[in-house]
Amino acid sequence: MYPGASSCGLAAFPPKDRWDDWTELDSRAWPRREERRYALVPTTCFNCESACGLLAYVDKATGTIRKFEGNPEHPASRGRNCAKGPATLNQITDPERILFPLKRSGVRGSGTWERTTWDVALDDIAARIRAAIVEKRENEVMYHVGRPGEDGYTERVLAAWGVDGHNSHTNICSSSARCGYAFWMGLDRPSADHANADVIFLISAHLESGHYFNPHAQRIVEGKHAGAKVIVLDVRLSNTATHADHWLAPQPGSEAAILLAIANDLIQRGAYDRDFVRRWWNWDEYLLAKDPGAEPVFETFERELHALYEEYTFEYAARESGVGVDALREVARVVASAGTRLSSHTWRSATAGNLGGWQVARCLFLLNALLGAVATEGGVYPNAWNKFVPKPIYSPPHPKTWNELTWPDEYPLAMHEMSFLLPHLLTQGRGKIDVYFTRVYNPVWTNPNGFGWIDAFLDPAKIGLHVALTPTWSETAFFADYILPMGMGAERHDLHSYETHDSQWLGFRQAVLRAARERNGETIRDSRDANPGEVWEENEFWIELSWRIDPDGALGIRPYFESQAQPGTRLTIDEYYGHIFEHSVPGLVERARAEGMTPLAYMRRNGAFEVQRKIGALHEQEVAPGELVDESIDRLGRVYTRAEKPPSPNVVPIPTPAPDAQGRRPVGVRIDGRIVRGFPTPSGKLEFYSRTLVQWGWPEYALPTYIKSHVHPEHLQPGQMTLIPTFRLPTQIHTRGGNAKWLDELANTNPLWIHTSDAGRLGDLRTGDLVRVTTEIGHFVVKAWVTEGIRPGSVACSHHMGRWRLHEHGQRQIMATVGIEQTGDRWAMTRTSGVRPFASSDPDTQRIWWTDAGVHQNLAFGVHPDPVSGMHCWHQAVRVARAQTGDAYGDVVVDRAAARLVFEKWLALARPASRNSPDGTRRPHWMLRPLKPAMDAYRLPERNA
Amino acid sequence: MIVHARQVPVDDNSSGPLWAKIIDQSRCIGCHACTTACKSENEVPLSVTRTYVKSVDVGTFPNVRRAFGVTRCNQCEAAPCVTACPTSAMYRRPDGIVDFDKSICIGCKACMAACPYDAIFINPQDHSAEKCNFCAHRLDVGLEPACVVVCPVEALLVGDMRDPASKVAQMVGREPLQVRRPEKGTRPKVFYKGAHQATLDPLAARRPEGGLYAWSEQPTGPREIGSGTAGRWNSSAAALLSYDVSHTAPWDWRVSAYTWTKGIASGVYLVALLLVAFGGASASGPLWRWAAPLCAIAFLALTGGLLVWDLEHPARFYLIFTRPQWRSWLVRGAFIIAAYSAVLALDLLVTLTGSGPVSLWLAIAGTPLAVMTAVYTGYLFAQSKARDLWQNPLLPPHLLVQSLMAGAAVLAPFAAWFEPAAFAAALIVLGTSAAVHVLFVTGELTLVHVTAHAQAATRVMTRGAYARTFWTGAALVVAGGLCCACPERAIELAATPLVLAGLLLHEHAYVQSAQAVPLA
Repeated sequence: MYPGASSCGLAAFPPKDRWDDWTELDSRAWPRREERRYALVPTTCFNCESACGLLAYVDKATGTIRKFEGNPEHPASRGRNCAKGPATLNQITDPERILFPLKRSGVRGSGTWERTTWDVALDDIAARIRAAIVEKRENEVMYHVGRPGEDGYTERVLAAWGVDGHNSHTNICSSSARCGYAFWMGLDRPSADHANADVIFLISAHLESGHYFNPHAQRIVEGKHAGAKVIVLDVRLSNTATHADHWLAPQPGSEAAILLAIANDLIQRGAYDRDFVRRWWNWDEYLLAKDPGAEPVFETFERELHALYEEYTFEYAARESGVGVDALREVARVVASAGTRLSSHTWRSATAGNLGGWQVARCLFLLNALLGAVATEGGVYPNAWNKFVPKPIYSPPHPKTWNELTWPDEYPLAMHEMSFLLPHLLTQGRGKIDVYFTRVYNPVWTNPNGFGWIDAFLDPAKIGLHVALTPTWSETAFFADYILPMGMGAERHDLHSYETHDSQWLGFRQAVLRAARERNGETIRDSRDANPGEVWEENEFWIELSWRIDPDGALGIRPYFESQAQPGTRLTIDEYYGHIFEHSVPGLVERARAEGMTPLAYMRRNGAFEVQRKIGALHEQEVAPGELVDESIDRLGRVYTRAEKPPSPNVVPIPTPAPDAQGRRPVGVRIDGRIVRGFPTPSGKLEFYSRTLVQWGWPEYALPTYIKSHVHPEHLQPGQMTLIPTFRLPTQIHTRGGNAKWLDELANTNPLWIHTSDAGRLGDLRTGDLVRVTTEIGHFVVKAWVTEGIRPGSVACSHHMGRWRLHEHGQRQIMATVGIEQTGDRWAMTRTSGVRPFASSDPDTQRIWWTDAGVHQNLAFGVHPDPVSGMHCWHQAVRVARAQTGDAYGDVVVDRAAARLVFEKWLALARPASRNSPDGTRRPHWMLRPLKPAMDAYRLPERNA
Repeated sequence: MIVHARQVPVDDNSSGPLWAKIIDQSRCIGCHACTTACKSENEVPLSVTRTYVKSVDVGTFPNVRRAFGVTRCNQCEAAPCVTACPTSAMYRRPDGIVDFDKSICIGCKACMAACPYDAIFINPQDHSAEKCNFCAHRLDVGLEPACVVVCPVEALLVGDMRDPASKVAQMVGREPLQVRRPEKGTRPKVFYKGAHQATLDPLAARRPEGGLYAWSEQPTGPREIGSGTAGRWNSSAAALLSYDVSHTAPWDWRVSAYTWTKGIASGVYLVALLLVAFGGASASGPLWRWAAPLCAIAFLALTGGLLVWDLEHPARFYLIFTRPQWRSWLVRGAFIIAAYSAVLALDLLVTLTGSGPVSLWLAIAGTPLAVMTAVYTGYLFAQSKARDLWQNPLLPPHLLVQSLMAGAAVLAPFAAWFEPAAFAAALIVLGTSAAVHVLFVTGELTLVHVTAHAQAATRVMTRGAYARTFWTGAALVVAGGLCCACPERAIELAATPLVLAGLLLHEHAYVQSAQAVPLA
């Protein structure tokens, strides 16, 4: 029995022993008691990155999915979901979804398609990839992924092909937040223990979005109702700000100034955890660098520390942020009261909005580092400690190539690929792409400079073949050569683990109907047999494609996709995951045996497994004596060993600090005479001072500091306001939720939030009035939403809306029909019609009552790569005015020449590896990098060295 | 709290559970998971909802917050929808759940008109009334409702009020909870914790202009009712509705027209009888013998036609007679009209067979039935507990006056042609009733209504969407009344179309305005 939240004798879910055959009463036939029999099959939501558990109800009579509830066996989501969980059903039954492989029949982008077969598509794509590999054009194969929703599978595929072809969305999403965390602790994500905190400090909107919305919202509200105080920094009134005990709405970009003022207060009042700072900060390294002659004792550092931030008074922060001194002082007092129970979190938000936003994350973590609230109950853990990535059946070697289209010379410290610069880099002739996969990713719509993306797609010399792996129509798929339908959440297999709280868990997404039929003893060849139409899934697609790239194994690729049990045959889903569950997940074999199942059957039955709970402070763990062989200890206490790294079933990516001069690997750090694990940073400690930043050309950012944003008032021209274009709604998720009618009914437009006083200043603007928002490269025309819920001087526009289609095909329930006109560098989008009801297999599409679909603002944004993190800095300096004569709702006009100038201006801020690398490499090897190439590929080529 | 004397006793069988819910707005994060989980569990189509989350932005920057209000059926102990339902399609289970049976719903929308929370809707797929029923089909197999299970923050709780161990029972007893619109005397079993007044009171917030909410369009349509008010809102704090769904007003022009046809049907009989009684017309004259019964029957037929047409399930109208729920004024009215029709049919039969005086004896039954036909709508409307404008003790006499006015207006031209001696008397009745009608209307307009809802309805009627209809109607009736006092025959005859048109417009404005006030 799963007792429900109500504690009233009712269950929240059917008991697990009846999941094979559960009888419920039909809600539509009610009050007639018509029984329906279901098989309950767990899977995982595929909307946002939280990957919450779902439980699919498969109707035994019809063999279709009747509904999705939460999976009570899931350690993070605990059976609960947000609006998107149940709406997964819409996505499965969406009458507009793509059910068969399509090939374009006109020129690219013309909107005409013909049905093709998987065989034709696979052979065509495989031949091109094979040619690229054989002809040593490995860098011409690229896979561009939105939120992956899986750990490592596809990176493994690319590694097996030997291409450095991974491209992600991260630099338009979380790179700056990651960067701030990574320079402190090596690992690039926080795992905040909200439920046990005394103070929850959010520079994010985790009660409505973010990594990890539902799991974190549960725990934040739990913590708050257990007495925690909630502090939220947000320019606009988010749902999260609504629940804050202290909501500060600062001038956008001033967040780090506020954080440093709080830090300074803690320092000046001696309210920080002295012992923690002494033991765990690399203050000695800082002293050594700053003044090698100074006495290297903690007291010297403390004196320094008192001086370092003394200019960050509350008065200074108040001037920068526009928040009152009293409010700041009060918040500082609350932070100080947290002790080691400060769960802070920033993700996207200010970090993603501002030039130097990565310092916001760094300054926020500074508060945890001062209070010792690191890897404590109620504090913040490095993400990798709360994550479990099981070792897969094969581990191909690191690729031997380096792709300069994704990792250009200018951005050696970029946390992820410089994905959003791709059209500019292609235009500069830095390379070309022969086979480009977009996988559930929509750069045309989601990225800045969308017209630049369209232009790149329209030029076959830049992108030879575009394959869109997507379950639904998207603005990017319109410009594909092949559209290959991949499964929705309940039609695919993936493994994932996320740092939702102090625990390590593994979630298993599975193709529900396939699993249900296999439970009944049916044999399924591949997921297409059970999915609707010819919808497939990527796992099997990659295996098949790899076989066709290397049919005889001569390229050394095929072996990574071959069965171990039956050599010479294709690896199957069951063997791939069965192997992992049997060999790489501690405790799973025993648990499954106790329930009389194989580990795979157990995971198919439960959908998730908690490997370990309460991981605790791994950095304090002593290094086992067996791991210390011929160890050396440097002057700062870093401990190196010659002992091999003990094998671990958990292959979660961890930074790789450099070995010592004799090649010993770093194993820990000596603190107060004990050799403990420490953190995966060069110093082994928390890095208040970053040697890496100094060595790679950014000495002024060696410490957590405040960088004035590109939208700092000093950088705004008179009359300009700051546009916050990043905010999210709880019901949508970028373009992935657009094919869920219930979600579209809830949110279907994105008016410009503008404060009452600004609306008055602009000539008595009223809600619904058309306004023209002018960016540095063009403008868009949108409706005004006059509100008290935003800081005066800033405007905000939710980025979920503004979907469009050019032709007949598309997601009609949430896409307006538009036209695009190009005259030289001037590109203009105009709307020809909004959303209308239409006839389909679902009678509900005739009941569509909304007509709007919002305005596509991202088209009007130039690229703003942060010179350090590589993050696109989303905030825009804009002019807002009443729409002009001739302006129409939904207009977007862009001058692409101006867009190029913006790119060049920001590019000039960068400090390239070729000029700053301390060791002739392209990038600090110790830092995390997806699909990390082999060390040799890190060497800068001769031309630059 | 207003408690009606004739209130139904609560089913207090004290064994077994008594289900209630708590909506904890201090936890709610406005994620709308309950909305989609409910749509999924109960297969609720687009454009309607069993539950939704409205939001109101309260305050001024920086002292501002977004207040969420989860809205749904309140499972009232004294459920107006159950009382109003003619066929018991809405019924209260012993465990306190107000449930519904779609197979016997005739789609009369009386439940929608009655619900003070606007929690009931007609499902566009099956055309029957529907609402939250606490997922009774799940409770009955031991499962929590879908919304309770999905809620990420455990803001929704279900429980047995009689089980002291149940969280709900404990909170109801120990915590300061609120209910929606307690003044309606419905005794809701959905309790709110930490709800902001601006979300509980549908008139508290300002409805944004421009057809927008913060992230959604406002559904549009002449009879789509969104929450909040466009002008004065009912809160001294700034409060802006930032998200809401709309509700469809239950009764359209057919119900407006029905009050008119029915008024004529009863009025012609009563006025003719009045004229005969006071010597203005002859008992053997064509007015009494032919015009009255024929007109009455014709307009009753129209009345019946409109009523059946207004049903979402017209073919099921017979259920009113085969499974009547006697507390429903729709049932009572149907039987009154049926009885009145029978008397009229007999009357006509008598006239056809030439047995003259019998028709006057029939009037002993016919008179009260005609009066009841005229006035019962006042009770039917009052049973629509949600509509404050209709909670008016003067409505029955006013309806009677309207009926006399309409009857006189129809009879006057007949008199002019077929029984000229009766014409003057008919004009006196017409003129007098028009004057009294205007007096009633003036009272309605000049007296301050007790509730904000009734005031809002009056505003809609006199200054809002129905102002033109209303004022034109009033002017036409006044003009018609004045015509009666004019010595010129042609002008006197003009009174009929003026008054009838004026009354029809008045009925429409009155019936629709009462339904144009947001309730949820």
